[in-house]
Amino acid sequence: MVANPKRRIVEIAVLYLLLGIGAVTTVLPLLYMVSTALKGPVYVLEIPPRFIPERATLANFIEAWNSNNFSLYFRNSAVVALSTTVISVLCSAMLAYAFARFEFPGKDLAFYAILFTLMIPSLTLIIPQFMLARALGLRNSLVGLVFVYVAMTIPLNTFLLRGFFEQLPRELEEAVWIDGGGYGTIFLRITLPLSAPALATAAIFTFLFAWEEFTWALTAIDVEAMRTLPVAIATFHGAHLTQWGLVFAASLIAIAPVIFLYVMLQRYFIVGLSAGALKG
Amino acid sequence: MWTQGSLRTQRLRAAYLFMLPGMAFFLIFYLYPLVQALWISLHEWSIMPGQDSRFVGAANYLRALRDPIFWISMRNTVLYTAVTVPGQMILAMLVALALHAIPRGRVLFRTLYYLPVITSWVVAALLFKFLFHSQSGLINYLLVDVLHLADRYIPWLQNPETALLAIMTLGIWKGIGWSMVIFLAALQDIPLELYEAAALDGAGRWGRFRYVTLPMMRPTVIFVLVMLVIGGFNVFLPVYLMTGGAPMHRTETLLTYMYNEAFNFLDFGYGAALSYMLAALIFLLSLFQIKLLRRPMEL
Amino acid sequence: MSRLKASAFRIGIGWMLLALLAAACVPAATPTPGPSPTPVVVERVVTPTPTPPGPVTITFWHAYNPEETKVFNEQVLPAFHQKFPNIRVEAQQVPYDEFRRKLLTSIAGGTAPDVIRADIIWVPELAAMGALEALDVIMPDFNAYKEKVFPGPLSTNFWQGHYYGLPLDTNTRLLMWNKEMYAAAGIAEPPKTIDEFLKVCERIKALGKDKYCFADGGTYGWAVLPWIWSFGGDLTDPEMKTASGYVNGPDTVAAYEFLKGMLDKGYLHPGILGGGVDTAGGFARDEIANLLEGPWMPAIFAAQYPQKQIQWALMPAGKGGSISVVGGEDIVLFKQSRNKEAALEFIRFMLSPETQLMMARVGQVPVRTDVIQQAVQAQPYFALFFEQLKTARARLPHPNWPKIEDLLTSTGQAILRGEKGAKEALDELAPKIDALLKQQ
Repeated sequence: MVANPKRRIVEIAVLYLLLGIGAVTTVLPLLYMVSTALKGPVYVLEIPPRFIPERATLANFIEAWNSNNFSLYFRNSAVVALSTTVISVLCSAMLAYAFARFEFPGKDLAFYAILFTLMIPSLTLIIPQFMLARALGLRNSLVGLVFVYVAMTIPLNTFLLRGFFEQLPRELEEAVWIDGGGYGTIFLRITLPLSAPALATAAIFTFLFAWEEFTWALTAIDVEAMRTLPVAIATFHGAHLTQWGLVFAASLIAIAPVIFLYVMLQRYFIVGLSAGALKG
Repeated sequence: MWTQGSLRTQRLRAAYLFMLPGMAFFLIFYLYPLVQALWISLHEWSIMPGQDSRFVGAANYLRALRDPIFWISMRNTVLYTAVTVPGQMILAMLVALALHAIPRGRVLFRTLYYLPVITSWVVAALLFKFLFHSQSGLINYLLVDVLHLADRYIPWLQNPETALLAIMTLGIWKGIGWSMVIFLAALQDIPLELYEAAALDGAGRWGRFRYVTLPMMRPTVIFVLVMLVIGGFNVFLPVYLMTGGAPMHRTETLLTYMYNEAFNFLDFGYGAALSYMLAALIFLLSLFQIKLLRRPMEL
Repeated sequence: MSRLKASAFRIGIGWMLLALLAAACVPAATPTPGPSPTPVVVERVVTPTPTPPGPVTITFWHAYNPEETKVFNEQVLPAFHQKFPNIRVEAQQVPYDEFRRKLLTSIAGGTAPDVIRADIIWVPELAAMGALEALDVIMPDFNAYKEKVFPGPLSTNFWQGHYYGLPLDTNTRLLMWNKEMYAAAGIAEPPKTIDEFLKVCERIKALGKDKYCFADGGTYGWAVLPWIWSFGGDLTDPEMKTASGYVNGPDTVAAYEFLKGMLDKGYLHPGILGGGVDTAGGFARDEIANLLEGPWMPAIFAAQYPQKQIQWALMPAGKGGSISVVGGEDIVLFKQSRNKEAALEFIRFMLSPETQLMMARVGQVPVRTDVIQQAVQAQPYFALFFEQLKTARARLPHPNWPKIEDLLTSTGQAILRGEKGAKEALDELAPKIDALLKQQ
């Protein structure tokens, strides 16, 4: 393709440069946020803004953690996110298995119904979901959050997993039939283990969604005791409008687990996403 | 009991059992509200316990069509989508192509570019609100004091036009990584032989891109396009958290307007009507995109 | 068992377990809907449920700022808990900007708090909605309290023949002037009239391009009404029947034109157009020379800008006099509350002289007439606030006030941005307000 090696080196160098600039631009706001969180209040709005704080301090982080029930909000978010992930992935896997391996009346209808809902903004349902939560007594409870989150994540997870399940070789399943196992056995011993990457992806995205979800958490919960992190951050901002350092310290505390998970499991984040998208 | 019936019936039972939990959640918390929203939109709905709602038929919908703020929010939603979707896709494609071409460091770059995607919307919106701060935001500092592209600090969030620009920047920044990762994966799937064949036929760089890369990526691009358009019309949090629709409702998008009407003025009927109109619009748009752009392919 | 039966069985068991788990987590009863709110039935005799023996919890929402919250949590609440060991108050701070929306959502959702510290402008709306208990009916000793508080703030609780709350604190806006900036501009005394105010602004502007004479956060009622009233204008007639001729009358128009002129000349900080302006910080950094502020400022400055001194003066007088806007909060009880007796004890406690004086230390001007002297002794600057309060006026006590204010704010923005002339914009606004006034 390219005959001239020298030219190729220059091209690659340019690409690296551009990519580097792009990456810096992308990450710059986040770095600035960290830098601001480390500044004392006087320095936050100074001009010219500095990247490396003159006097870095952890005071904001300490105050953010102490001044509110951050550990409580953390716990709430964690409970909600974990429950949602487990239930949603399980239900979606079962649903996807049904679509992938069975034929039954109404199959196409059901599948298209689920797909159709992907196109509808979830926020459109907030009014009736609100009323449903009220009727079922699910307001101001973490369970109310979990149920709605599960419902919201099932469509995409099912879609993703179905595609994956369809690709699984049937020979292994047939072997189980011959040995006397049933659908349950197949599902638990063959399908799920083989789908670990896809399940991991679904789990990660569901977890992320539940961890960060704001609008339903804002609408369904009034009491502080049940508050989740995203709402806590926004409320924190509302209460400390100009104290950006403090607000960002709180935000960083909130997104730290996600970033950590991401760095650790980034392979699953990215690979799974692409796989799902391509097979879709 | 279980062993009775034909194998087919047993299979059916198994199938339905597998479907039960997922469908239960879906039906109760998704489909039923969807239908109920329609019902609500046909009423002047009163949420106070004990007060009745009045059936008004299509009145809420007609009201929307006559409501200037509805049209403003519609315009903003469309504008947001029209700018951020191509913005994200083009930039993502460029980055993906670049990443595809470099020999090493792909993982590092991929990780960095994807960071905004996993940052929560709440945090990202607050961050950008800070960046675009009129007096001491980083953006103004860069524009005026460093790059000298403007001569005075721009009050970004005060004017609808600049506020929308700030919001769109947030949208693009946050989304590039997502599309980029998908494009990159698709690029990596393209068999090299196709490129070699094209090169043998005399295609230059652009030719190879146009006749090999793009066609092979077509399904992926369509998928991304449909998802991004849905996401664009869905825009809520960036607007809600950065401007709240102000000033004067000029930066409202359909969903922020809906939310406001429903939960600030307790006009659930009108809010439901607005949501339905948006839902219908997105649905039609997506169908249209898929039918138009997709060759008949198995879903 | 056949393999199919086995797997079906396992699947079934799994689901039952999950269902049981889910069912176990769902909390008990659906909240019972309140009685349908018939328009004020005077003869209703309510026998409040006597306080049950075990500890009772009531929820209280407020929008106290951080300094006020501190005093409330560290002094007021412990005192209450000591006096009433059987009652537990769960206090929740809700930022003002979200308060109303959150409150409405919770009312709609059937989970309203028991008691709130409500902005006085929300009370008519909440009362008209049927969400509040009429205190003069449910509280046996209401009249005792009624006599002890200022009539002005008390009147903000009145709606269609009944009182739906008691005043908790009152405030108004005074001119907060920046002595250092004045000195730099060669001015010794704060302006007494609007004409003098303009002259001050000229001199302040001469100090620098980025120096502002005045700043405010927007064109909502709290911001523009002092100017409108001091100019001699108004929003409606005294009976709130019509806005035409008032909101677009010559004096109101003059007030808006004044503000527009200030903005154009660079006297008024452009933050009034939205986008946020740090008024306190700007004042502390000697960038803003005047603000219209309330009695909470000294506490805030003591905490955030201890080096900066604040001076107070009365609102500059115009054709209509020196008229400021009265603000404040009322304490109200919700019909959805299940512990009304306990809630009433809390309300009484908040209105006790001791509590009123405790909160006065952070700038909460008391509403009880019998603690005025002590309050002024403790916070001398209160004296000027009481002076201004004599003539201060309330925003429209109409249930549609939020919608009216929304329109008013937008109109003010349009005028200040030069999109419409003041008269033109206000002429358009008048019929819209007329329509809202007619609706109940």
